[in-house]
Amino acid sequence: MTAMFALLLLFSAVTAPPAFETDVLPIFAAKCVACHGEKNPQGGLDLRSPDAVRKGGIHGPAVAPGASAKSLLVDKLTTRAMPPGPQKLADTEIARIRDWIDRTLKAPEQVTEHDVLPIIQIRCVACHGKRKQEGGLDLRTVASRLKGGKSGPAVILGKPEESLLIKRIVSGEMPPAKLQLEYSVRPPTEGEVARLRTWIAQGAQEGAPRETAAVDGEDRLVTDKDRRFWAFQRPKRPAVPSVKTADRVRNPIDAFLLEKLEAKGLAFASEAEKAKLMRRAYLDLTGLPPTPAQRDEFLNDSSPDAYERLVDRLLESPRYGERWGQHWLDLAGYSDSEGFGQDDGVRRYAWRYRDYVIRALNSDKPYSEFVREQIAGDELTDYTKLGAMTQESLDRLAATGFLRTTPDPTNAPERGFIAERMNIIADEVEVLTSSVMGLTVGCARCHNHKYDPIPQRDYYRLTAILQSAYDPYDWLPPKKREFAAALPSEMAAYEATNKPLDAEIGKLEKSLADLSASYREEYQRDVKAEIFEDPAKIPLDKLFAKFPKLKQRGEPVQKELDALKRKLAPKPHVRVLMDNEGEPSAFYLLRRGDALNPGERVAPGVPAVLSASIEPYRVIAPWEGSRSSGRRLALARWLTQPNHPLTARVAMNQMWMRHFGRGIVASPSNFGRAGSAPSHPELLDWLAVEFVARGWSQKAMHRLMMTSSAYRQASSLNTLPTADPENILLARMPLRRLDAEALYDAALSATGRLDATMFGPPADIEVKADKEVVVKARRDGYRRAIYVLHRRQTPVTMFEVFDQPPMTPNCVERRLSNVATQALQMTNGTMIWDQSRYLAGRLIDEFEQDRGEQVKQAYLRILSRAPTGAEVHAGIESLDQFMRLWREKLVSENSDAPVLAAARWQSLASLCHTLLNSAEFAFID
Amino acid sequence: MTNPSRRDFFNRISDGVHGAALASLFGARALGSTHDTPTLLAKKPHFEAKAKAVIHLFQNGGPSQVDLFDPKPGLQKYAGQIPILDLKTDVSSPISMGGLLPSPFKFAKYGQCGMELAEVLPHLAGHVDEIAFIRSMFGEHFNHEPALFLMHSGRTVPSRPSMGSWVSYGLGTENQNLPAYIVLDDPKGLPINGISNWQSAWLPPLYQGTRVRTEGPPVLNLTPHPEWPTPLAEAQRALLRRIDDAHRRERPNQPDLDARISSYELAARMQVAASDVLDVSKESEAVRDAYGLNDPQTASYGKRCLMARRMVERGVRFVQLYIEGQIWDNHENLDTALRYACGKTDKPVAALLTDLKQRGLLDSTLVIWGGEFGRLPLAQSTNGRDHGPSGFTTWMAGGGVKPGTVYGATDEFGHKAVENRVSVHDFHATVLHLLGLEFRDLVYERHGLKERLTDQFPARVVKEILA
Repeated sequence: MTAMFALLLLFSAVTAPPAFETDVLPIFAAKCVACHGEKNPQGGLDLRSPDAVRKGGIHGPAVAPGASAKSLLVDKLTTRAMPPGPQKLADTEIARIRDWIDRTLKAPEQVTEHDVLPIIQIRCVACHGKRKQEGGLDLRTVASRLKGGKSGPAVILGKPEESLLIKRIVSGEMPPAKLQLEYSVRPPTEGEVARLRTWIAQGAQEGAPRETAAVDGEDRLVTDKDRRFWAFQRPKRPAVPSVKTADRVRNPIDAFLLEKLEAKGLAFASEAEKAKLMRRAYLDLTGLPPTPAQRDEFLNDSSPDAYERLVDRLLESPRYGERWGQHWLDLAGYSDSEGFGQDDGVRRYAWRYRDYVIRALNSDKPYSEFVREQIAGDELTDYTKLGAMTQESLDRLAATGFLRTTPDPTNAPERGFIAERMNIIADEVEVLTSSVMGLTVGCARCHNHKYDPIPQRDYYRLTAILQSAYDPYDWLPPKKREFAAALPSEMAAYEATNKPLDAEIGKLEKSLADLSASYREEYQRDVKAEIFEDPAKIPLDKLFAKFPKLKQRGEPVQKELDALKRKLAPKPHVRVLMDNEGEPSAFYLLRRGDALNPGERVAPGVPAVLSASIEPYRVIAPWEGSRSSGRRLALARWLTQPNHPLTARVAMNQMWMRHFGRGIVASPSNFGRAGSAPSHPELLDWLAVEFVARGWSQKAMHRLMMTSSAYRQASSLNTLPTADPENILLARMPLRRLDAEALYDAALSATGRLDATMFGPPADIEVKADKEVVVKARRDGYRRAIYVLHRRQTPVTMFEVFDQPPMTPNCVERRLSNVATQALQMTNGTMIWDQSRYLAGRLIDEFEQDRGEQVKQAYLRILSRAPTGAEVHAGIESLDQFMRLWREKLVSENSDAPVLAAARWQSLASLCHTLLNSAEFAFID
Repeated sequence: MTNPSRRDFFNRISDGVHGAALASLFGARALGSTHDTPTLLAKKPHFEAKAKAVIHLFQNGGPSQVDLFDPKPGLQKYAGQIPILDLKTDVSSPISMGGLLPSPFKFAKYGQCGMELAEVLPHLAGHVDEIAFIRSMFGEHFNHEPALFLMHSGRTVPSRPSMGSWVSYGLGTENQNLPAYIVLDDPKGLPINGISNWQSAWLPPLYQGTRVRTEGPPVLNLTPHPEWPTPLAEAQRALLRRIDDAHRRERPNQPDLDARISSYELAARMQVAASDVLDVSKESEAVRDAYGLNDPQTASYGKRCLMARRMVERGVRFVQLYIEGQIWDNHENLDTALRYACGKTDKPVAALLTDLKQRGLLDSTLVIWGGEFGRLPLAQSTNGRDHGPSGFTTWMAGGGVKPGTVYGATDEFGHKAVENRVSVHDFHATVLHLLGLEFRDLVYERHGLKERLTDQFPARVVKEILA
């Protein structure tokens, strides 16, 4: 076959170059244009004209003129990847196409502004752009390039080799070697320099911006048929069905569920016992089991609406926001650390966002406002005009921490190159779309989405919304995004800490300066190897090295100074997302997701498939003269329209999943074609419409779901219905394990070790000698898990073992395992044993030697139920047995403790420890 | 088998022989079925394969290909020069860059395959005919963090499951009394990226690597509280069993509850099994000596290599070894630094290959040696080399690998892979293939998408190195 190719090539060399119309088009017409033709060209590739072939599709140009071996088209043909069917091209046909590419297509391509601007944005503008004009040069526009800087014009039309732009790059002067790392910039590639040369040679044409068509116009990538998919249509209130077992219908939720159950000959399970239902409601809404007093309050309430009032009480509890706040933080991907590298730096003020979430949920802030604040809190009020910060105004800024959660390594310039920047933006887009929009768009970063009508263009439009705040060509690392703001009380506390320190530091610095003054001059006189123009700038260690006398006197002062400086409190700030100042850079679709391979230019926008029947995305400046573009505010408003196809549905599906164990759409972050079809589409729509009608009140919807008959069902059945083995139709409540945080919190609460302090900086963690990561012990007990420092590199071992996600970048649904390491953690870890001993101590304090009462109380506090007579009996027997073991041990060790008392305490602790290890404690019926 | 007690059941499943068969009895469904309750029970691969286990000898820092595996006369010829501009494209610290730096080491050919190795790898030299060397690996990033992420998880970002997690997810493990995926890190400290190297990310957390320490308590909380009377743990377990059994009787048809209760029994057995597997004193003196346990230079890495063999022998699926800090990150003093790194590892690695072979385990164990990238042929400062992601060497042995293979080539300076290039995705696809897993089909549904180790990147199984 190779020989035949060679022969053909030889033959072609002496013939005229093939023409497109006569030699190539007939082949394409016969075998390719069915897919790569007029209607909806696959991959955006149209093969009907030389220009269209040259332009190519989403993967870039289909041909490299003059170089068939490097042409994508040839690659696809020779590997027989294309055409997809059985009808492949003959070798002779491929050879003819190659010949056409190699000889006919040699003509140079037109290079325009939009081919070179991306290169300049990546390689040059950090020093010659918006923020800086080194040497007076700004390279952002054609005019400014022609104008040039101190050394003259950067570009001389038609003369690439005389243009400073090219000269400086080729000579290796630019970008300067010593600044490349500092600015995370690398020199242009050979190919890029060639493109710049051609562009200058051709007269540095501006060219028409190849911006994509507006959403309103005809759109060949997204059709009306695409828009008719259920999830992209606005939800409509369905009629509530009537069902046979109407006596089980407490609200419409039951009717929708029963309709499907009855169709399969199924029904709800019987109602759960009152005590079990109580425990379920407590753990579900607050993440804590009921205390014995709370238990009595409910069980002794025989009024018909006792349960409804319990739900109301729980919704009013501040513990509610802490429990459901954790669910939201999962969606946001909250962490207190940067997540990268060895140091995994702590984000000092990330907790303001966590507190915002808890406060918002506890006050039942309408979900629409909740979302708006998190996407664009900084664009809702003119924060530049705020006087003293209030909690409310601070919260609105802190809310934008929602899009600041993902790992960000760019504080280190060696990790701040263009590719890393694009990854951060992609992660934020993933957080946004998977949590609030129920869409999976990540695939469209590299190519048009295979399953959903989300073209690559729409992905980059969405990205461009964030680009005014996350500008990859004008990048701000985290340390430059700290917005100095705090409550007056926080500022006062900060100043109270630092003022006396500052005064002390000032004094020491002065004395150190006095001490060293004469030496500095001497150093400047004597040392010529390194010239310091200003003697005050000579580093102390150099002086110390040269003058031992100075070192002897100065070093202790310096050490004291360093110690004081370490005591300084960091300046309070808020971790915000705000727009960069000035005009955002030009933004381009990135072919194959490659930051160095920009394609057409895109403007901010939302997925075109969602444009049906709702208000379009429109950017308006948030207020007169605002520095903020309003791009995110426009997104926030667009998303929270009452009839938005996704927003309310996605939120209700999340809430449903957490109450009932499985989403109505089982893929909560994918409502598209590749996601799961809803098990109860009418119910989902009813919930979505009802949610909006009730003012986006989450608490109202919790109440509805939890007071339904469905929620009150028992979880165990003696025989499983074969018609629904996976319990999708909910003929019982699922039995569920407590997640990591609930298990930890419940253990603390049951044993009386819970410190209920809310808000503020997180509780510290420590790494023990054996490398277990634990929460630092405090005299007042332990705070809830949501207040524990979450570091991606050093997760608290107990949380990690019980499946707390590492936030990569977020977690829309937890999957809970039951494995041996959990048993090791619970039985042999110090945490549960310490709490067991604490509880045993309190039980002995309260009930002295009444072992029956101690057993009963241990059951009540840990399992939220009274033990049966047999259980009390067995408990006492076990206490006897444990007593014997402990006594023997204490005696054999010749312990100085009162043996009987110590053994009594330890044995009761052993019993409590057993109950905390029971499956009953870890599972919700 | 008539209605075995649960205890019987797990005793049998744990012996590895019946594991796979029983796993299917227990209802483990087809691979990649995302919504199944996560489990570590052994699963059938997609197709029959030789490799049942992996020992990944990860060489963090970036071992220098041109000084160990890939000799280039061009470095001598153009010493101190930069003959082509392309050599500069990977330079990350342009200020300290120098010209081409010849290797300080002599190379010689070994074995029937004639593989050339540097003089600092004398022990490995005896094994070249068991190994497939890939001289044409290339990565995407010149920094440790992203490159490590890429090598472990297929992307340069810290958000994806590592290869070991994928393998545990795909195949489960043969020994339920030990973790499926074990990481033996160096007691001197974690590698760059710390625990993220063996994270399961969005795969269920039970697939993440378990760190087993070679000094001190090997697994966290493996043994009861030291202050407890010795029989208390068993007495407490008996009480717990009674309480849990009663609880379960009232709640029939709850598989999660069953799993929870058996996990407590597995934990008790893990105490015994883990102590046993780590006890290298049970090995003969000859074996201990072969791994270099009696020589302070090789003792640390040798012990981990020996533990790794004990683990795969007992059915652990994936063992990953790390070496102190950045031992291969030789920005300066290339000569002494490489002698140090090779001196610590060469003998233990060779002993591992010998030992596996002698025990008939090499056929079923895939041994992988390689770092996150290689190094540049140019000098950094005067006597070091900077990171080189564009071309480097990785080798594999055992487990269905074609022995005595030298595959691919870099350019005349050892800078870029040019011939039969192998991307990290190809490498991943090949490792999965050797284990009987088709990389396109080992999927986990996330956000409704089928995620893979190779993500959506093009990848191919490097068939040329398969036996």
